[in-house]
Amino acid sequence: MTIIEVGRLLRAGTTGFVVGCRVSQIESPSFGALVRVPLNAGYQIYGLVHDIHIDDDGLVRQLVTTEGIDQAIIADNRVNRNVPIEMSVLSLGFQQDGKIHYLLPPRPALSLDAIYLCSDQEVRDFTAAGRFGYFRHILRSADLPVGELLAAHINQVQAVQAAAGNHNWALEATQELIILLRDDYVTLMNVISTLADAVPETWEGVR
Amino acid sequence: MAEYIGYVVGGGLKENLNVRLTVPSNQVQEGAFAVIESGEWQFYGLVTDLLLGATDPRFADEQSEARLPMQLANLLHGQTLYTNLEVLPALMLERGPELGSDDYQIWQEEIEAGKRPRPRPLPVKTIPSHHARVRMANQGDIAEIFGKEEKEGNFVLGYTREQSHPVCLDLDKFVQRSSGVFGATGSGKSFLTRLVLAGMIHYNRASVLVFDMHNEYGFDDTASDTGEKVIGLRTKFPSRVRVVGLGAGAQIRGQTPDFNLEIAMQDIQPEDIELLSRELDLKETTPTTLDALITDYGRDEWFREFRKLKIGETVLTDEGKKVPAPGSVAFWANSMGVNILAAEGLHNKLRRVFNLPYVVEKPAADSISEIIKALEAGQHIVLSFGKHEADLDYLLVSNLLTRRIRQTWEKRTNDYRTSGKGEPRPLVIVLEEAHKLLNREMAAQTTFSIIAREMRKYYVTLLIVDQRPSQIYDEVMSQLGTRISGWLGDEDDIRAVLSGLAGRSALRGMLARLQPKEEVLLLGWGVPMPLPIASRRYDDQFWQELLGKPPGKRGEAEILEELGF
Repeated sequence: MTIIEVGRLLRAGTTGFVVGCRVSQIESPSFGALVRVPLNAGYQIYGLVHDIHIDDDGLVRQLVTTEGIDQAIIADNRVNRNVPIEMSVLSLGFQQDGKIHYLLPPRPALSLDAIYLCSDQEVRDFTAAGRFGYFRHILRSADLPVGELLAAHINQVQAVQAAAGNHNWALEATQELIILLRDDYVTLMNVISTLADAVPETWEGVR
Repeated sequence: MAEYIGYVVGGGLKENLNVRLTVPSNQVQEGAFAVIESGEWQFYGLVTDLLLGATDPRFADEQSEARLPMQLANLLHGQTLYTNLEVLPALMLERGPELGSDDYQIWQEEIEAGKRPRPRPLPVKTIPSHHARVRMANQGDIAEIFGKEEKEGNFVLGYTREQSHPVCLDLDKFVQRSSGVFGATGSGKSFLTRLVLAGMIHYNRASVLVFDMHNEYGFDDTASDTGEKVIGLRTKFPSRVRVVGLGAGAQIRGQTPDFNLEIAMQDIQPEDIELLSRELDLKETTPTTLDALITDYGRDEWFREFRKLKIGETVLTDEGKKVPAPGSVAFWANSMGVNILAAEGLHNKLRRVFNLPYVVEKPAADSISEIIKALEAGQHIVLSFGKHEADLDYLLVSNLLTRRIRQTWEKRTNDYRTSGKGEPRPLVIVLEEAHKLLNREMAAQTTFSIIAREMRKYYVTLLIVDQRPSQIYDEVMSQLGTRISGWLGDEDDIRAVLSGLAGRSALRGMLARLQPKEEVLLLGWGVPMPLPIASRRYDDQFWQELLGKPPGKRGEAEILEELGF
């Protein structure tokens, strides 16, 4: 099993953290991907990538106005940039002594802790550990594009679950979302419309 | 394993219980008998309404199935759109701790040992808890509430509408108080009455006297709508039912009745005339005139004597003055100090009664006593009015006969109370077109309203058959124990049938939506809870089930099979 490191921790809080990574690392995580931060023995934090952010610096500002930039300069600026690519991650739960909890982690990760992309097995383990309790962390974040984030997450997890024979995961997850949001027409319709746009990827194979 | 149809989400005793439906709404109908399981109690109720609901009205407004993939739309609708049932709770029954547990064993032993009352259905006094599960009643539940089919005195009147479980009427309870069969014309009232009568005659715990205004119940008849032959009660119970025809030589449906009823003039009493006030358009002076007649001739002779008097006959006095002749109404009026015009007016109006062919001076037999004797002996009488179908005949004869019956039963009951011997046999008087005798104006005067109100103690009750219950005096309606009603359209009639019952508003719509000729609503004191049922068909199969297969000729095939060929 390949372990993919996506970066190291820049700053963290209980509800989420920000990861800095190199350009070479940006290929692996994607919006809606599940990541983990292993800390000490048997304790690791799970999170969901909800924003990938590329900040500028002084040099980039000068370069963007320059005519005919050399490809080598562009490549050099990307690889050896001063400011890292930032990924914002929402805490969804943690694992302690082998048991997964859909609660906020008791203590955050520390600076420069390595963050890894969850493997298919880890994704399956985390998403099937309970009855979608981690959805509440996503739904609570009013300033996030909740619909888009859930659609991306469900899409990715469904592919992994279906590969393991659980074809109805997306259906059950959606049902849970509808139950959680049925008193909030605006958010629910937003989420449902986004999920509808994910067709056919999400719903293919759903029985 | 019971199949649950939903769970309780709210409501109360006053405004009914709300149940969230978890099965497609077409699986449950208005009037369904629902059972709610809540802890140690089981509640029985009636579905009175089905309501469409949404967690937010916008989910219902928007046709999201048009713009969402089918699976997503189904999921969304499954959670945001729903159907609620309104259930009218009626009864509750203790079912004890969980079956098979130690507590259940102890509970059961306590009941067996008599330390605890045996659970029986009680009127609902509390409500089930939230999320208590709801299912449709099964055959066992129906039998628990309405009684078992096998028990003597339980008569299957129909079947539950969805699952066709038999619903019984407790005939012992049915005859204890007056009852009514209602329904608009063409709603199957006559067939329903035949069913009930057949059940009562077969059970034979009470005598039945039917005032058969339209000659429907005694001999075989032809159905007015289908043209098919309808078996009469006399045909099926030849030794128990006697058909009495009104008037000498009466023929009922082309057949000769067992005996004929003629009324002796001495039997007609002033009260009988007073209750004909509306029919004969009698004036308010009538009681005074009648009173003078009684004073002069006595209760037995007044009718005969008054009938003999002539109107307008005069003689000349010695002075050549015209004065009323002896034997004229005016002469009699003068002698008694009664207003001449009032007496002559009454005489004129009573002419219709004087001319009734069945009112005779000396009947060939004392048929009224014969009827009473037959009833006392446990026989059942169908009094067919034959060709005398006018309201006048019906009012006069039914009231007169009932007055005599009432006297007899009152006397017998009083004797029984004194001596403790010879308990009177319960009697049910079946009254068709009851509003003619029990309307607001007449109710105070007729014997029937007294029977409806008080005669229960004297072993006489009424079975009222009517299409306009709203015309029947409220005080009589409110006394009716069991009410069996077919379809009713008129708002006033519906209100009248439901008068004095709990949950009226919930049952109102149900009455208006019954299937004519097929469905009836059981209501009132005589039934444990209101329930619409599909009524039994009055056909050959009914008779076979009631009386067993007739020992008629066996087919060739049947005999050969029995012989082993």
